[in-house]
Amino acid sequence: MSAPVFLIYKKKMSFDLQLVLDSLPLLGLGALVTIEITAVAVSMGVMIGLFVGIAELSRYGWLRVPAKLYVDFIRGTPLLVQIFIIYFALPVIIGARIDPFIAAVSACSINSGAYVAEIFRSGIQSIDRGQTEAGRSLGMSWGQTMVTVIIPQAFRRIIPQLGNEFIAMLKDSSLVSVIGFEELTRKGQLIIASTYGSLEIWSSVAVIYLVMTLSISRFVSYLEKRFNGSKKVR
Amino acid sequence: MIDSKKDQEVMIELKDLHKSFGQNQILKGVDLKVNRSEVVVIIGPSGSGKSTLLRCVNYLEVPTSGTVTIDGETITPKVDINTIRAEVGMVFQHFNLFPHMTVLRNITLAQEKVRKKSRQDAEQTAMELLKKVGLAEKAQAYPDELSGGQQQRVAIARALAMQPKIMLFDEPTSALDPEMVNEVLDVMRDLAESGMTMMCVTHEMGFARQVADRVLFVDQGIILEQGSPDEVFSHPKERRTQEFLSKIL
Repeated sequence: MSAPVFLIYKKKMSFDLQLVLDSLPLLGLGALVTIEITAVAVSMGVMIGLFVGIAELSRYGWLRVPAKLYVDFIRGTPLLVQIFIIYFALPVIIGARIDPFIAAVSACSINSGAYVAEIFRSGIQSIDRGQTEAGRSLGMSWGQTMVTVIIPQAFRRIIPQLGNEFIAMLKDSSLVSVIGFEELTRKGQLIIASTYGSLEIWSSVAVIYLVMTLSISRFVSYLEKRFNGSKKVR
Repeated sequence: MIDSKKDQEVMIELKDLHKSFGQNQILKGVDLKVNRSEVVVIIGPSGSGKSTLLRCVNYLEVPTSGTVTIDGETITPKVDINTIRAEVGMVFQHFNLFPHMTVLRNITLAQEKVRKKSRQDAEQTAMELLKKVGLAEKAQAYPDELSGGQQQRVAIARALAMQPKIMLFDEPTSALDPEMVNEVLDVMRDLAESGMTMMCVTHEMGFARQVADRVLFVDQGIILEQGSPDEVFSHPKERRTQEFLSKIL
């Protein structure tokens, strides 16, 4: 009995490069979907986050309290559970099935929004109070001062954190594979189901994620340098 | 001498102004009338409430009680504070220029947003003012490329671009290196001579003596003493005024 088992084990240990090459087109498609879902989620997240982040700083309770609750709820529960709620629990209430892409993108956007809100809030708070006072003393409204004076300065400061959020979201988007949405991780699972090439596929998937996250962080440092450059002598 | 060259029209009126931060009472009942074209200099020890007093005039600090009336309009929750602030320029100790904008843009921004001027009109006004403060060649520079004195002159130009009726100065030279103080005071002196109504918190006693129509000595949240520069500086009546002046002169 021990000999065949040993043989099987031996066989699994070999690395099948051909399998990697054959799987690349499919994994590439998956990676594109991952980028798509991440890009949409982070863009939506930035919009939600900007709004919620400002609401958190509002002097009006009816804006501030819901914003805080949203941020606390999202940051205090796992993304996986949020995905389940949107994909499985929400249809019970609305009585209709939700498209996996819609579910995946909404879950990620809503999740990202909460983290981005905190980034914006701290970014806005880090801008010297004198900037707001200068804008207001010129007769500009709170909104005008925010849009023209505070947010542009805050935005420059939070580029690194936004980059981190983008990277975190890209990795966390792998969780939507659990609702069968075919992004990179799910594509990997599907290929393994038919080829049993766990080693080859999972390491390929990891490398593809790595290439994507490293590219993003390079791009972010480039943006950072560019923005800092324009503040100095141009 | 004070009144002969000044109109009797009241531009700023403060009535029984109180301001507290929590339990801490900063202003304890301030009454003040400032006439058109009058230059009022506020002096006093640190923590006396002189900056708070100034900041109440354009409601950057909302008084706990009492009223502020600017050019006949009393500030109430119903009044649009922004239209009043547009008439009251303010210059800060730390300049507070917008660091992400060029000097020119710093000066045109509020003209466009508040006064609804065209970009072209706003830039023309800005360039005229920059010439006046001697910085026309810095229009395209960013604030962090300028010296402190230059930044403060830009800040004055930025406030003047709104064509305000009143200018407030909150220790405008306190953050400057000594050699830059005069370039800013010169601009303020010109402004006073042009008939601007001004309130100025400062430690520059030479400037106060020369330019002020009236000097207020603020201590412990009230105007303890006021009068012409000569009265306050040379013949102070209150003991605390005497003590303060003996420390700084």
